Amino acid sequence: MLKHWMEKPLAQYAALAFILGLAVWYWGFVFSFHYKFDWSVLFVENKTYGLNLGLELLKGLSLTVKISLLSAAIALTLGTALGLARLSHFRPLRWVATCYVEFFRNTPLLVQLFFWYFALPKLLPDAGREWLFSLHYEFWVAVCGLAAYTSSFMAEVIRAGLQSIHKGLLEAAYSSGLTYFQVLTRIILPLAFRAIIPPLGSEFLNNMKNSSLAMVVGVADLTWQSQQIESLTFRGFEATTAATVLYLSLSLIISGVLNTVNRRLRVERPARPGWMDLALDRVLLPVNLFLRGLTRPLRRMARRRRQSLTRSALGALWARFLGLARRALVLAGKAVFLGLLAGLAWKIFEGLSAFDWAVVRDNFTTMLIWRFPHGDEHEILWGLGGLSFSLLMAVIAISVSFVMGLVIGLARMAENRVLRIPATAYIELIRGNPLIIVIFWVYFFVPVLLDTFLNVFWSATIALTLFTAAYIAEIVRGGIQNIPRGQFEAAYSTGLTYAQTMRRIILPQALKQMIPAIVGQFIAIFKDTSLAYVIGVLELTFVAQGLNNRLMVHPFEIYSTVALLYFLGCYAMSLFAARLERRLSPERIRLRM
Amino acid sequence: MRSLKTLAIASLLLLAAASVAMAGPAYDRVMKDKTLRAGIMTDSIPGAFYNEKKEWVGFDVDIAEEIAKRLGVKLERVAVNNKTRVAFVQEGRIDISVANMTHKRERDKSIDFSITYFFDGQKVLVKKGAVKDWKDLMGKKVATMQGTTSEINLKAKLKSLGEKNVDQSVISFQKESECFQALQMGRVAGWSTDSTILLGYAAQEPGKWEVIGDFISDEPYGIGLPQDDSALRDAVNFAIQDMWTDGAYMKIYDKWYGPNTPYAFPMSGKIEMWP
Repeated sequence: MLKHWMEKPLAQYAALAFILGLAVWYWGFVFSFHYKFDWSVLFVENKTYGLNLGLELLKGLSLTVKISLLSAAIALTLGTALGLARLSHFRPLRWVATCYVEFFRNTPLLVQLFFWYFALPKLLPDAGREWLFSLHYEFWVAVCGLAAYTSSFMAEVIRAGLQSIHKGLLEAAYSSGLTYFQVLTRIILPLAFRAIIPPLGSEFLNNMKNSSLAMVVGVADLTWQSQQIESLTFRGFEATTAATVLYLSLSLIISGVLNTVNRRLRVERPARPGWMDLALDRVLLPVNLFLRGLTRPLRRMARRRRQSLTRSALGALWARFLGLARRALVLAGKAVFLGLLAGLAWKIFEGLSAFDWAVVRDNFTTMLIWRFPHGDEHEILWGLGGLSFSLLMAVIAISVSFVMGLVIGLARMAENRVLRIPATAYIELIRGNPLIIVIFWVYFFVPVLLDTFLNVFWSATIALTLFTAAYIAEIVRGGIQNIPRGQFEAAYSTGLTYAQTMRRIILPQALKQMIPAIVGQFIAIFKDTSLAYVIGVLELTFVAQGLNNRLMVHPFEIYSTVALLYFLGCYAMSLFAARLERRLSPERIRLRM
Repeated sequence: MRSLKTLAIASLLLLAAASVAMAGPAYDRVMKDKTLRAGIMTDSIPGAFYNEKKEWVGFDVDIAEEIAKRLGVKLERVAVNNKTRVAFVQEGRIDISVANMTHKRERDKSIDFSITYFFDGQKVLVKKGAVKDWKDLMGKKVATMQGTTSEINLKAKLKSLGEKNVDQSVISFQKESECFQALQMGRVAGWSTDSTILLGYAAQEPGKWEVIGDFISDEPYGIGLPQDDSALRDAVNFAIQDMWTDGAYMKIYDKWYGPNTPYAFPMSGKIEMWP
């Protein structure tokens, strides 16, 4: 009877409204907060400081948008070049691109930003430093650091997209007489782009959210400004809420644009384009015109050359000369590249040999385990800290978020709105915000809602878990949606229930597909533990800062070691992921560009 | 999709409807549990920091220990930073905050303060011989910490000297160590905050840095206390007064700021003795 009623949308909405009402009633009227809301801090000028803090917040928003757009553009250019370089025939180039991608993907953005901002200028001669500092250095460090980080992810997306094209398709194209250029523009790029756009879009979204870390190098972005309101007026609740709403709207705008692009890339286009499509057409018009203008002469040239199959003697000589010149140019380019590479390697070697390794040696155990086992019993795990703490946080977050993600992902796909709507809301809310904002929420406000106090370690771990669960839920959804519809139907028709179908038929297959993505998410958690430093968890980044603070003169040694430690952990995981990926999809072949 | 967005916003508003709580009378809790939870900084030398043996030491740590001893309870140290120290007192996560905290009226709207237990003023740290006075810093960049009174004072001072674009010339970092690093690499010409903090950092590389200029503000340090808990406020105030009269205070002071320490800072005699 109940089951019958719960299938009606009206009953489902009623149940949802009831739950919402219950929560409002409890926290709105029963639970006592002893806190007076003062939303006016967000729009009234503050007398003490003579500032309109809401206006400052909007300034931060515009800076966040500016950083996101600039860094996304740079990252896309750099990422495309790197993605192509990873498929190059020229081995040193491929090798450098691989090193770059692996290194930047597997170290936390926070550590990278610290390195760019605090360590890099020390390498430069005085004149170079003067020049750098005459620019708006903080802003450009944030933009370029972010771009360097994002580009490594984009490079992987682009490489995978290009490699996902079947070899048979290329062979068919070549055998039907198309030229290389035609194959590239007619076959490879359209197909690759269709595969690339969705993951590339989520990189744009991540890039925007990662811009929240710009505050560590003193850039007054949105997160910085909300923190500023908090520390000037102690209206943390109002400030964080405002920042959350702004981030969420930015995310929704970005994902709206991405959805539209996705829809347009599908083979069958919708009969009646929505307003989003039309708006996108307007926005993309100049880009389209530019691309068309750029490729037309190339295409025409290719066509003309094919039309004249016979050449005069002079023409043949000229063509040969051109061919030789081109080869010489390529060779020279390779030589220059190798020279630059050798120079860079020498510089790195020089820098490393100037390091004071004794500092690293003396403080290595501190970085690994802080003062375990000599801490006192009040501390979590008797004084554990540093790398082992980061690992511990990651392991807890990974195991809990996997289960949570699975449940929420299934709920997100349920027919019943009582499950689906809250699950969707949770996923969108969490994914629409930067991790740092989620950490602040858990740290400051969840204990208040539940009326207990949490240790910083647990707050950070809970925030990481909540954050990752939303991402895993989406991976689970994607995995399940990839399973052909017929499998469900076949399972139901043999008399299996929903639970049985999921457990025995769908999930085993879907999980296998999801493994690479999930491992990728786990790598991300391990890196993201570095963000716990903002609330003072004694993890690796925090310990490194403390050490650097005390020793003062060795930031290079310490930050390099920290970066290496993160890298080793992440790289081991990504090797594992790559092996799984290869084992799970044996038919993929290496496409070369 | 639209109903989903509405729901997301609705649940957000619900979260927003909830807010920061305050625990009941802190004094009763302290006496019942026999523990005093004190918020202490972790990277302020010599206020409170981790030394080579990874022990949490410093002037503020000793003051907090002494107060707990005089209340007859055990001290539980809670790490705070300039962002969390006020919020923690407000939320009741800590009972007192001994964390380089200037007693300001704006802060008094949210929490209470003890009598002054330390008196400092704001100056600026520069490379030795590079800059003589505040005036020389015009047109250059100066570092400070985000969300502190130092930031406000610095901006006001630079404005009063005729600096047009204060937002460009003041760079605010999250931590003291980051300010010092920015100074070390030459990104900023000076770092301005309370002079004892500057002394602590200058002592890390003796002879390379100096603290210059007049005090641009008075910074009476108070201990942050929960709003309207006069029993706890009295207990802490009496403890500070007793420490001062029986000499325990000067002993701690000399240990960290005495003439034989790297952070020598002469006692100014401005310490107030009552609320």
